[in-house]
Amino acid sequence: MTAALRRATLVVALPAALLTAWWFASAGSTDFYRPPLSRILAAFGETWFGPRLVDDVLPSLARLGLGYAMALVIGVTLGVATGLSPRLRATLEPVLEFLRAVPPPVLVPILILVAGIGNTMKVLVIVSGCVWPVLLNTVEGVRNVDGVLADTCRSYRIRGQARLRHLVLRSASPQIVTGARQALSIGIILMVISEMFAASSGLGFTIVQFQRGFAIPEMWSGVLLLGLLGVALSVVFRVVEHRVLGWYHGIRAVQRQ
Amino acid sequence: MRRNLTALLFVTALLSTAACGGSTTPAPSQPGQPDKVTVGVIPILDVAPIYLGEQQGFFSSRDIDLTLTPAQGGAAIVPAVVSGQYQFGFSNVISLLLAQSTGLPLKVVSNGNNSTGVDEDFAALMVKADSPITSPADLAGKTVAANTLKNIVETSVRASVRKAGGDAAAVRFTELPFPDQPAALEAGRVDAVFVVEPFQQAVLAQGGRKIASSYVDAAPNLAVALYFTSQQLIAANPDLVRRFTEAMKESLAYADSHPDEARAIIGTYTQIAPEVIAKLTLPKWPAEINRESVRTLADLATEDGLLTKPADVDALLP
Amino acid sequence: MTAGKTGRTGKPAGRVRLGLAGLLGFAALLELAPRAGVVPERYAPPTSRIVAALVEQAGEQRFWTALADTARTWATGLAIAVVAGVALGVLIGATPLLRAATASTIEFLRPIPSVALIPLVVVLYGATRSSTLVLVVYAAFWQVLVQVLHGVADIDPVARETALSYRLGRWARVRWLVWPTALPYAMTGVRLAASVALILTITGELVIGSPGLGREIAVAQTSGAVPQMYALVLVTGLVGVAANLVTRGAERRVLAWHPSVRAEVPV
Repeated sequence: MTAALRRATLVVALPAALLTAWWFASAGSTDFYRPPLSRILAAFGETWFGPRLVDDVLPSLARLGLGYAMALVIGVTLGVATGLSPRLRATLEPVLEFLRAVPPPVLVPILILVAGIGNTMKVLVIVSGCVWPVLLNTVEGVRNVDGVLADTCRSYRIRGQARLRHLVLRSASPQIVTGARQALSIGIILMVISEMFAASSGLGFTIVQFQRGFAIPEMWSGVLLLGLLGVALSVVFRVVEHRVLGWYHGIRAVQRQ
Repeated sequence: MRRNLTALLFVTALLSTAACGGSTTPAPSQPGQPDKVTVGVIPILDVAPIYLGEQQGFFSSRDIDLTLTPAQGGAAIVPAVVSGQYQFGFSNVISLLLAQSTGLPLKVVSNGNNSTGVDEDFAALMVKADSPITSPADLAGKTVAANTLKNIVETSVRASVRKAGGDAAAVRFTELPFPDQPAALEAGRVDAVFVVEPFQQAVLAQGGRKIASSYVDAAPNLAVALYFTSQQLIAANPDLVRRFTEAMKESLAYADSHPDEARAIIGTYTQIAPEVIAKLTLPKWPAEINRESVRTLADLATEDGLLTKPADVDALLP
Repeated sequence: MTAGKTGRTGKPAGRVRLGLAGLLGFAALLELAPRAGVVPERYAPPTSRIVAALVEQAGEQRFWTALADTARTWATGLAIAVVAGVALGVLIGATPLLRAATASTIEFLRPIPSVALIPLVVVLYGATRSSTLVLVVYAAFWQVLVQVLHGVADIDPVARETALSYRLGRWARVRWLVWPTALPYAMTGVRLAASVALILTITGELVIGSPGLGREIAVAQTSGAVPQMYALVLVTGLVGVAANLVTRGAERRVLAWHPSVRAEVPV
């Protein structure tokens, strides 16, 4: 077998085996809450490939994108400022640790008070959760800038904007990307949570309505869709990361040899 | 390092064994021992009778060892009853009709709570103090907050609108949990809210006013919620179901005739402030189910499009 | 945060003082905002009223029962996730064939958001502790597994060759080679998993209604008891901070022998 064929088999083997097992194990199921996989897949097609794709899925994704982008901007800005100033860090650290520990669904009523029940609130919920991994990882990244590089910059009198761009941000970027990766999975979770409470459309909203209306195969199909969404987004992220951090992966590979 | 490793493993093992504490399904009872029964309820005023009945011993005197488990809503209670984790559950009439129409094997055993049947009810359709809306007919094209969509709130509010001569289909509903509704009304994010106690008091306290009692408009002496069980339990242990039903009837009658004790018990399983409890309008707790109102609700739900197949009310009710 | 690097920040006492100042400033902000009318006072009470409600709650038995329930669910879920994550991580990581075969499945299951499972566990288990436990274990497990897999993959090739030339058996290799290398990564995984586990414990209790602090928050909400609800939110934050300190302390003790404290691996 050629190497490519072997690799393809390894990728597909286990998932295919698990899916087949699920199919046959649930085939004759009469349990209302554990429908056969065949029914779930049938429901998947008719539920999601229709007007719902535009009415519910796309708005949810748009809110996720906006919230994620805002979290990145806020997290990196605040993170760089905090990382560079030890006094600021010491002052803000306990407050940030505390805020981070409050679970997002608890924040939703508070955000409803402040921002109402429309798209603003949902985007704020996403931002409020995604900002933490980005912020904390940025702070760590900025703190761990290589001392030798910092001294080199000082001897060459590289200051201000140039120093920020070429030394601080670039050194911290692997750590920032780690934070962005964690923020992405949190973002998907929060997108669903923000729609479970005061919503009238959206992916999370639709799934919860199925659950409340006892439409169980449709509910399962929604869960599957969320899983596929998570996978798709993480693949996209990996592609972007490869391009942005290509230089870093190269250096690490050389160092390891 | 070996010491740390052992310590780590020990702590992990300890934590794992701590897990095996709580059990979920009650063990089958031996003859002579009371039956262990778990009932899924929602921690709201409507379920005061069962708490009161437990306190008064109506259940223990019938060999029922009662455990009341609060849940967030019918969506969590119905599956637990169907799977046997709870023996009985509490849910509103429309949720039960919906569940039955999808084929779930449920059967109602007892009444839960009713509307007071008069204008001063435990639930109301309310607007802000300075709102231009004066009658439900004005709600056409406006937004009303409902705690659950496609459920009893929509049915009742649309009935109010129809009664006032408005276009029921033109009312928009947005889902918002009860606790968040008073603030949203005040801030003008919704045009009207349909709230139950204690939030009715909260809206009144901020100056809001009532424009209709939708539970009264839907049907006379509307049965709002009922206690139910699964067909399996009825088949396996009909005697237990009968005893539970009798205990519930006694509890409902007691709560209906002893409102002060009902208020007292509400304070034990909710966190409603005592001064608010004193002002609450309590629901009515008749011991018998108002079958006519259940039929009316079923018709209204079919008319509004919530039920796609006509419901078999007689199969659902005892 | 991580150990070391206190030089530039000055004496530790100075840092503590600055931290306290930050906390007090935050509390003052939350006291003044409602009173100034920035947020409606009835629904966002000032700090003083929240603290008063907290003191009142602390005198009630149900509060401590709920706290114990939350702690138990958290600890149980974390323990199961850690044991399973470490065991599977070492097993899969040590065998190249297993690692290749399971990679796609892991990459598929990992990003599934745990909240997507909420409707599922509600219909399967109802409003019991088991539902929340499933959510917690699911989310925390992946954190640990991914870190351990990275740790096992990071074994120093020279050390591995040495172990093989000395003919160390499988178990000896695991004990002296795999375990010490993977342990720092595992501890990072435990730390990440701990905070995820706590957030999901409270979320599960809040949304599903399993016993614990989250459910008390929900009851306070449905009762319209606003200061009590915020008091419980405050407790939740404090519990999170405490959990973080505990896991960091554990990490520092277990890794006391390690030359440096590892940074989190890009996942």
